[in-house]
Amino acid sequence: MSPLRRPLPFGPRAAALGAIALAGCAAAALLGLTPGGLALRPGGLELARDLLRGALAPALFHEVPPATPGAAPFLVKLGLAVLRTLTFALAALSLALPAGAALGLLASQALWQGSRWRGPARWAVRALIALLRSVHELLWALLFLAALGLNTAAAALALALPFAGTLAKVFSELIDEAPDRSGRALALLGAPTAAAVLLGRVAEALPDLAAYTFYRFECAVRSATILGFFGYPTLGFQLQLAFEDLRFRELWSHLYALLAVVVLLELWSGALRRRLVA
Amino acid sequence: MDRPGAPMANAAHSPPLRADGPALELRGVSVDFGDRSALRAVSLSVERGAAVALVGPSGAGKTTLLRCLAGAQRPSAGAVYVAGADLYARAPSALRREQARVGFVHQDLALVPVLRVAQNVLAGRLGRFGTLRGLARVLAPRRAALAEVHRLLERLGIADQLFQRTDRLSGGQQQRVALARALYQEPTLLLADEPVASVDPERARDVIVLLTRLAREEGLTLVASLHDVELAREHFPRIVGLRGGVVQFDTAHGSAAGAALASPFHAAAASALYALDAAPPPDAQPHASDCEGARE
Repeated sequence: MSPLRRPLPFGPRAAALGAIALAGCAAAALLGLTPGGLALRPGGLELARDLLRGALAPALFHEVPPATPGAAPFLVKLGLAVLRTLTFALAALSLALPAGAALGLLASQALWQGSRWRGPARWAVRALIALLRSVHELLWALLFLAALGLNTAAAALALALPFAGTLAKVFSELIDEAPDRSGRALALLGAPTAAAVLLGRVAEALPDLAAYTFYRFECAVRSATILGFFGYPTLGFQLQLAFEDLRFRELWSHLYALLAVVVLLELWSGALRRRLVA
Repeated sequence: MDRPGAPMANAAHSPPLRADGPALELRGVSVDFGDRSALRAVSLSVERGAAVALVGPSGAGKTTLLRCLAGAQRPSAGAVYVAGADLYARAPSALRREQARVGFVHQDLALVPVLRVAQNVLAGRLGRFGTLRGLARVLAPRRAALAEVHRLLERLGIADQLFQRTDRLSGGQQQRVALARALYQEPTLLLADEPVASVDPERARDVIVLLTRLAREEGLTLVASLHDVELAREHFPRIVGLRGGVVQFDTAHGSAAGAALASPFHAAAASALYALDAAPPPDAQPHASDCEGARE
């Protein structure tokens, strides 16, 4: 036996892993998960094959001639759906970003250092942020749909509320983790705390804040897509129609369009980040 | 700011402000971090307009002493007088006003990397304004303020970098921006912590020449910490040697070490002693016999 061997084979790490595995097994037993549940339905294999075949040959034209004569070409319809999806996401984020930035700054430890309101103020702001985050955007959307009907502004607001909360939470963490050397130097020459935090920590965190905002825009695009399932004219609406009518090639065209948007956003945010970091 | 002869609010704590009094004075200042002492009963007086170099090995307490003078480090014992007033006996708002008049060039420069050069310099006056007005002056500067910054950068030889992003500048240029920010404060006291630590030796001399020349032209009191005794001897009329938090020599008081430092030969020896020797002060060193006993 090696002299380097630990005296106890079960440390806290092994115990944590074991607990996770046990919890997984318990959940599976409660839900009645068995390998049998994965058996194919009759006709399921054919459906899956047709679906996958669509992936190899996405539609560029209407798969089924449209019922109304003079309908717009397929790619125009697709382009409009992409545009509307982006519009929803942009509207939501332009509401969420100022609110999230303000709440994030107010929730940061750095802003309140040395203030006697530190405890209650941060507690109140963080409670508000938790409230905004805890309700998913689709629930907000359902709520507004029930109260206001199909309303574009309400849909954008439904996206904006939880996004403001998430932005605020992550912004406050990024601000508190940012290097503080320049901020301390500004405080040393007599700058008020808020000014020193904004020009110090916040300025230093700017590349990370921008990158995270881009990531949230990507999330907003996906959420705006899903809003289509409720009848808003985004990509999700077209996806749902294509799926219900078994137009799988059109379905994949929409999915590829969504993928293209997300990849382009990623490239753009990467370029911006490189510029900011210099 | 300076009102010679004006009655001080906290007269009980400090001697009356005199125009001819020392610019700054430390009286028995000690700073303890836990059970480690960074400064031990340091007393030091610097006349207005004087240029003083603090030399000593790493950990000698140079940075702590500068931070005490900048209002950033409250002494564990003793008092710090700037322009005749006890710095740490003041209300926080008064301390802030005092700090606005103390320029500090940090060892790591501590500039805001994503801001323009002009904005970093403009930030030097943040101590004069409230939050919103201060931010407006930095982010949307007035034409007159920009012209003033431009003239300042011209004197420092980097006027063409006015609108460049600060992190795109070379180390030497950033050094000048940090100096410009401190000068834009219109300070009465200029503190520099190892101003040549991040500059190559060729440029170090230029930086020190620039620093001492500007301080002289503006009539500022200058206290700079330096690793290089030779550089200090060439450009500073007064040198204070620190070691283990204790003042070892002060050329102003004509001590033996100070007199020795005046000759180039001894300066080289002192340079080797103070720059390279990071050992604890002599009184903390174990006796030679103890060492030999421990070697077995």
